[in-house]
Amino acid sequence: MDTKSKLGRRNLPWVFIFLLPTLVMFAMFYLWPIIEVFYTSFTRYRGFGLHTAEWLGFANFTRLFNMQSFLISITNIALWSVLAIVLHVSFGVVVAFIFYRGIPGWKFARAAFMVPVVISSAAWAMIYRFIFNNDFGLLNNIIRIFNPDFQLNWFFSSPAAFWAITFTWVFYAVIVTMVVLGDLMAIPSDLLEAASIDGASSWQKTWFIKLPLCRFSIGTGVIMSVTSRISMYEAIALTSRGGPGDDTMSLSLILVRAISDNNFGLANATAVIMFIMGILTMVIVNKLFRMNDSVY
Amino acid sequence: MKKISIILVCAMLLFSLAACASNDNPGTPPPAGGDDNQTQTGGNDTSGGGGTDTPPAAGVIEITIPHYKVGANVGALFFLPQVDRFNAKYEGVYKINIEEVPQDDYADKIQQLVQQGMAPALIEGGPQTWLEEVVIPEGMFYDLSTFLAGAPDIADFFLPENIAHNSRSGKLFSLTYPVVRPMTIFYNGDMFSPSKSFAELSWDDVISELGDNKIAFMTSENAWTTMLTLSSMIAAEPGGAELLTNGVVDKITDFSHPAIVNAMTKLQTLLQNHASSNTIGAAYADAANSFMSMNSALIANGPWMVGDFMPDSEDKWSNGFNGDMVRGDVLPGNVGLANVLGYGWWIPSSVPQEQAEAAWAFIAFMMSADELEQYMLAEGGTAPRVPVNDAFLAARADNRILDELINAVNANTIFAPAFADAIPSSVADPEFGKLLPKLIDGSLTAAEFCDELTRIAAETAN
Repeated sequence: MDTKSKLGRRNLPWVFIFLLPTLVMFAMFYLWPIIEVFYTSFTRYRGFGLHTAEWLGFANFTRLFNMQSFLISITNIALWSVLAIVLHVSFGVVVAFIFYRGIPGWKFARAAFMVPVVISSAAWAMIYRFIFNNDFGLLNNIIRIFNPDFQLNWFFSSPAAFWAITFTWVFYAVIVTMVVLGDLMAIPSDLLEAASIDGASSWQKTWFIKLPLCRFSIGTGVIMSVTSRISMYEAIALTSRGGPGDDTMSLSLILVRAISDNNFGLANATAVIMFIMGILTMVIVNKLFRMNDSVY
Repeated sequence: MKKISIILVCAMLLFSLAACASNDNPGTPPPAGGDDNQTQTGGNDTSGGGGTDTPPAAGVIEITIPHYKVGANVGALFFLPQVDRFNAKYEGVYKINIEEVPQDDYADKIQQLVQQGMAPALIEGGPQTWLEEVVIPEGMFYDLSTFLAGAPDIADFFLPENIAHNSRSGKLFSLTYPVVRPMTIFYNGDMFSPSKSFAELSWDDVISELGDNKIAFMTSENAWTTMLTLSSMIAAEPGGAELLTNGVVDKITDFSHPAIVNAMTKLQTLLQNHASSNTIGAAYADAANSFMSMNSALIANGPWMVGDFMPDSEDKWSNGFNGDMVRGDVLPGNVGLANVLGYGWWIPSSVPQEQAEAAWAFIAFMMSADELEQYMLAEGGTAPRVPVNDAFLAARADNRILDELINAVNANTIFAPAFADAIPSSVADPEFGKLLPKLIDGSLTAAEFCDELTRIAAETAN
């Protein structure tokens, strides 16, 4: 024991030396920008060096909380988060279970399911803009087969715009599927065999063994999908632009608008709110899914 | 030995990291008149986020500037050949490369490049609020007056009020084309025949004469054609023209002025009853396409659109449309929208001297009498202080639509800047366009729409 700790002490400098490049990288590209964002969120800042920032206290946050577009954004993010958990993650989990069962052609289906991931979100938003176009969009043309008089500008009408934005992501749960599928494939076969010997039905094995054992990956999926909703930008900016009015506003759009207005303090206050929302999501999901407890 | 190797590897990693983070370029001379703390663009090629694939020839100063007058943009018809003419004239000395940027993204791109210390050598305009609150007060520009002093052949061309507007503490920020190009209205003479000239008709008269004809409106991008229509309605209201004119310097943030509310009411009527079918969500290309495919009979736009009605733009026409059908006139109420207090071409102070000289050479080239004549022939307008020759006048008279536009303006024409020039940048784009669908579907009345604009202006104020 004494020899081990001596060895550990002797190696300690090497540990730091090996960690140094990573620590420097982290400090330069993550830690310092985050500190800068937090600091400047309390200032009037035009982006020309921290020495030019003028301390304002909580004024940016007060202003933000009094903005109608901020309140609408928070409501939208809350609704999208609920939909992400209820529809997006659930759909991803169901698809993972279908792939896990190994239905004929599942490898092809998995590859096809992956396609949206390799298309940039900006291109994907543009595709949806065409799909939902009133005049020549695929969706309205299908609807007009049954209702020739149908007219709806999905991205520019209330409340259709909210749902049109939602449709750009809600059924593309590839990441969730892949993470859950990885967990499913890692379940020891003897565990499932033992359950079969004990007389467990396929449904009981799914509900009482597989799903609980996928707790971590499902929790991870929830964190990823909810935080993606908080930071969602391209799908809105390239389609409805937050409209009509402020109906599909999001914090990321407020942030970009503040940058366009050279109001970096307000933009960074928005970023701080987004950061806090992301951390809160992680803490809550960690607690709810008991991410720190072992599943086995 | 092993330990020494490990230390060396770690040190190399750190050095490479430090090297990657550094953007000093020993080959770049320091800026003249700029802020020493600002990052320089490197080498002989200032790539505004872009660059060239091939190294420049020895001695040639090559600059790359992002611009939106490219591709299908209507301004590309004149601008790109002009760049070619410049490159041909200064072959072996200067070379301009154009990096293509969508018009809608140009302002954001420029703002980001300048913010990152990667400003291109030459910029045309930018968001007015940003220019007035950041670029000009921070002195982030070359003083063009020193360049202009060395160019007596063009020095007298510029409008004094524009020079005054662009001057700060004796320094000249930017130069705009010394050409006044009032925004006008184009209509399809085969589809719509007004009882009188538009100078003698009010918008109410036009609305009553429209019948089933549609106007090419848009709500996407900066809602350009819709905004111009609204601008002309405001300018025709009592006190409206003054309101817009004053707004160029002192932005309108309270939209409850009767001129705006009344104009918005008329606009709502038009949008609800006479808007082209693709108005909601339409970008400029959609609005132009609506007009050039006979789906709408009128469109408000600048004289540069005339190029789209010439036979060499035939590929843009469809559904039986022909450029010969188009007539040009002032906007109803005898309104011509023009803003002489705008900002034009400027050179960021972070640009090295030799690139600034190349940028200036291009500005001087664009503002030369020959080029301005070609510019006016292609995109319309008049240059009050530029001497023109008879050949130019004859050529302009040959262009029927340009001739109509010039003759439509009379002594009683009301000149005012466009609504977008008189309101905060972020309200003009994208908030105005974002809100328009609610005016169209009636979920907001004109007064409520104006209240919303007032609220947004307060939210986005600095």
